[in-house]
Amino acid sequence: MTQTAPNPAQASGRKMLSFENVELYYDHVYALKGVSIELMEGETVALIGANGAGKSSILRAITGLRKIKSGQITYLGERLDGRPAADIVRRGIAMVPEGRRVFPLMSVKDNLLMGAFTRTDKAGIEQTLESVLTRFPRLRERFNQQASTLSGGEQQMMVIGRALMAKPRLLLLDEPSLGIAPKLVQDIARAIVAISRDEGVTVLLVEQNSRMALSISNRAYALSTGQVVLSGQSADLMHDERIKAAYLGGEL
Amino acid sequence: MEQILANGLYLGAQYALIALGLTLIFSLMNVLNFAHGQMYVFGGFVTYTVVAQFGLPFIVGLVASAAVLAVLGGLIEKFLFRPVIRRSKREESTMLLAAGIAFFLDAVILLLFGEKQRGVPKIVNGVFNWDMRIIMPYDRILIGILAITLIVSFILFMQYSRTGRAMRALAQDRMAAQLMGVDVDRYSMIGFALGAMLAGLVGGLLVTITGINLGMGGPTSVKAFLMIMIGGAGVISGAIAGGFILGMMESVGLTLLAAYGDITYLVIFATLMVFLAIRPQGLMGKPWG
Repeated sequence: MTQTAPNPAQASGRKMLSFENVELYYDHVYALKGVSIELMEGETVALIGANGAGKSSILRAITGLRKIKSGQITYLGERLDGRPAADIVRRGIAMVPEGRRVFPLMSVKDNLLMGAFTRTDKAGIEQTLESVLTRFPRLRERFNQQASTLSGGEQQMMVIGRALMAKPRLLLLDEPSLGIAPKLVQDIARAIVAISRDEGVTVLLVEQNSRMALSISNRAYALSTGQVVLSGQSADLMHDERIKAAYLGGEL
Repeated sequence: MEQILANGLYLGAQYALIALGLTLIFSLMNVLNFAHGQMYVFGGFVTYTVVAQFGLPFIVGLVASAAVLAVLGGLIEKFLFRPVIRRSKREESTMLLAAGIAFFLDAVILLLFGEKQRGVPKIVNGVFNWDMRIIMPYDRILIGILAITLIVSFILFMQYSRTGRAMRALAQDRMAAQLMGVDVDRYSMIGFALGAMLAGLVGGLLVTITGINLGMGGPTSVKAFLMIMIGGAGVISGAIAGGFILGMMESVGLTLLAAYGDITYLVIFATLMVFLAIRPQGLMGKPWG
């Protein structure tokens, strides 16, 4: 995984996003139990943990898809929780949802344009579209094809491109390697590193593939049953015995 | 034969417009709008009032129908469907609400416009006659062309405008559309208003040919549901196909089956039952879209 080493923390030291004691419930079952995390501008941070640990709930809380019960989410010095989802996108937070969620009956072009839905600068949108197509040449080849005809890996690239169309400052990625051919996981990982480097975008990555997540992130939080159980530099966590035992399985 | 086709096309274009509105509302909100036929009747009476009572030109009446129904649809979505969808997890709730609105609109139409059959004076005179093969009054041709123009405009709007794209996105993946920054409430309201507007427009178009009366609402709803069952619910191409197929079937039936009595709809219903048993999702039906 030499090409996929994380960018040396470009963190400017400015705080981008923080959770303070956030609790989130689905009906009466808790998903987050007093979670506090922090993201600095320019960082790539990974959330790792088993299924149901609360990783995706953190993303849903940020994007406003789920209301938090207590605690506070701050983004660039402003309170984020309680704002409508559309407003949150407009503030520069874009998410690549779990399971890709392409618009299946729309062309690749329309899918990408939907990513720029909140933008009104025509020339700027055109420019971003060009840069996305340059980054993912496969999308240019399939530009007018229906999204449902794309392979899983192509769809994943398309939804990452779709999120980039919003010109985000914070990019949320929910399980980008899920259901992707192992060979393509490398490509996706490389693309994530390149995006954070080229666009200077802050990345919050949720992954069950902990090895991949740790190898491309600067820092990581490990979650278990709705709580942060461990956190630190990804390079250190990679060699942490507890992480190895819980998330990485045996040495390969 | 040519005559049957021409009649079928004329009828099919009106039907397709009605079905488009119904399918739009269904795909955006998962609401079966049983009041769609009543909205059509309401639109017809608005044009009648503007043209026959106030003596204004037909086009003014048509625009008034579109505007009144769009506002009515928007209000119905905002104050009736939205709170019910928010509070209830069961789909029957919106179905019952839609049925209630149908009865309510029937009552409102009765109060405002009365129970009489109404029509407007011919908007164009004369009859087109192609060697006795196709005989069609000019006003029917004009209304048919208007309907087809509206269908084409609707398709272009859904395909190329930002609003249309947002509504398609919302229909295909609600959650992903939200993540793109689409305001679900706002676009559901726009979609409902647009669907109601289409129903009103057809009412305004047809009042010039067949007239309008209070009793037409229910049967029109039934026909609209037939069309989207034939074509596949929630799909634009399905609504159009369904509309034209039902129009053709009626036209063929009324000509060929006339000798056996009034059995056109009996045959259509029987055919549809067999068809749905074989292909329950309709011609173009997909789970979403």
